[in-house]
Amino acid sequence: MQADRRRINAPAGGTAPPVFTFTSNEQPPKRPRRTRGPDEHRKIFLRTGVVPSASGSAYYEIPPQPSSAQDEKLTPKSSSLKITCTVHGPRPLPRNAAFSPNLLLSTHVKFAPFATRRRRGYVRDASERDLGVHLETALRGVIIGDRWPKSGCEVVITILEGEEDGWWADGSGAEKGAGWGLMSVLAGCITVASAALVDAGIDCVDVVSGGISALVIDDDAKTEHVALDVSPPEHEIKAMCVVAYLQSRDEITECWLKGDASTNTEALMDAAVKAAAMSRTVLAEAIGEAATGQSESESTRASAKGKGKDVTMAG
Amino acid sequence: MANGANQSPGLSLSRDTFAKLTPGPFLHAHLKQAQPTRPNGRLPHEFRTPTVNTGSLTHSNGSAVVRAGDTAVVCGVRAELLRASDIPHPPSEDIHPDDLVEELGLLVPNVELSTGCSPSHLPGNPPGTLAQSLSYRVWSTLLNSRILDVSTLAIRHTELQPEDEEVPDAEPRVVVKGYWVLYIDILCICLDGNASDTVWLAVMAAFRDTVLPRAWWDADQERILCSSRLAEAKSLKLNCLPVASTFAVFSTASPLKDRAEAESWVLADPDGAEEGVCEEAMTVVIAATGDGATATLLSLEKSGGSVIGEAGVAEPIEYSAP
Repeated sequence: MQADRRRINAPAGGTAPPVFTFTSNEQPPKRPRRTRGPDEHRKIFLRTGVVPSASGSAYYEIPPQPSSAQDEKLTPKSSSLKITCTVHGPRPLPRNAAFSPNLLLSTHVKFAPFATRRRRGYVRDASERDLGVHLETALRGVIIGDRWPKSGCEVVITILEGEEDGWWADGSGAEKGAGWGLMSVLAGCITVASAALVDAGIDCVDVVSGGISALVIDDDAKTEHVALDVSPPEHEIKAMCVVAYLQSRDEITECWLKGDASTNTEALMDAAVKAAAMSRTVLAEAIGEAATGQSESESTRASAKGKGKDVTMAG
Repeated sequence: MANGANQSPGLSLSRDTFAKLTPGPFLHAHLKQAQPTRPNGRLPHEFRTPTVNTGSLTHSNGSAVVRAGDTAVVCGVRAELLRASDIPHPPSEDIHPDDLVEELGLLVPNVELSTGCSPSHLPGNPPGTLAQSLSYRVWSTLLNSRILDVSTLAIRHTELQPEDEEVPDAEPRVVVKGYWVLYIDILCICLDGNASDTVWLAVMAAFRDTVLPRAWWDADQERILCSSRLAEAKSLKLNCLPVASTFAVFSTASPLKDRAEAESWVLADPDGAEEGVCEEAMTVVIAATGDGATATLLSLEKSGGSVIGEAGVAEPIEYSAP
């Protein structure tokens, strides 16, 4: 591979991630277990307006699950999802761009190099571009584009920490690259992008929220059931589904189903819609909080302005 | 105009409009008061107080999130292994150990600005000049300060000499089987001026948080293995703790005016708006050694003007000294 001249590169010999061993008197790490019910969602932390230099921004986090024997190990058991999103625009298209009667939406999803167990590069790879396309489909159906002709809007997502593809210690999911983690990341991306769009003041028909569900194999390896908001390390997953859902219009703008769900397809989608409805409550709360907080800070700013010296330009 | 009614008549503009239209005179109007205060409410020599959070990333050996005002930076340090046998051109034996870190490329810092942190650095393009120069500055300061000894990164193995009749009690030989390579990935989440100080602070905070697992050479499997126990892991031994501080100079000098008439102010830790109107800037890197009682000047960069003369250099250095 050609070295990137614009960045500082790794040593020419190439490096390998460390290999950990467990001595005989040590317990190998145990797979985390799902402690919540099959129709319970993990807690979501969502906040808007974290990047003042952008028109709109939001931060999304699923805090790490409390686990029993986490301590004293260097190898983390599971990761938590951390996503930031900024929206730049709407702003005029460059002069040489072709005329567009609608708002041109472009999405950009990038994993941070330290987001996953395996270090990622700085150049976007195919999976990241694919996530961007999925996100764009999800958002395009929501934005009222014809209110901004001849303008563009960028949605930029940085994933500081991604979801894992499987339980790393059995080396199956994580190695095969089944991509279960990506789907869960997409659901987060949809929700956070929606919050950032609202923060940027871009007109939407409704707030869109992402939800995820999976067909998981039970412990006895014979039966299977549908669970919503799955964390891939906790389950054997057979099929997974992400939806972008508009609750007040009862519409789905994006649906991505992967794996063999056979007769359970409908149940899987219903569960994903249910998960999306749950994340919508968080979304609505965060937006509402930002709206009330903003009006408060605006009023304090106005009063501060009255007291302080307002510099005026004397003609 | 409907919204013209509630505005005062004449050329009086609202604060935000004034700041946007003519940033230079706006800053000047603030500074020329009896008690110079910057538009952001700080005194000229006042720094923004950074908040530092460490250890929040799961997949890094050390990490830090630093926020100073509206500039926020995330730094993750990840250690990977470079096998000694994989080095294509091994450096010669007599190389000074201090130069080995650079020669082998054991520190790989990269600053990424295209995370949507500001409208001028949109993603989709290769890193711009600012990002490249920031990466390079971090890299050169890390090497120049000799912050890490190569011995903290080397993985040694005591090799027993094969039984030899001629030399019965051969000394066990210590060989270096590999090195830790530290990938220092710095993402700017939010940019409002003075990225370099914040980036550097984040690198330092992440370094102090970094732990390297105990690693050894396994002769049977012929590879380096690591222990996953946190109790055996060691934190990095840092030789010094450099601190970077940046100052901008706002000057009313212009080619049309007499030089003696020009006024100038030194502003510590400039924000985005101030950076835009100040031409002259200066960065001082000071390293506190050991107990922090003494500090040495590590580097000094000044560009863009002649306001700070030889004598004036001392003043910002005093301010940045801990």
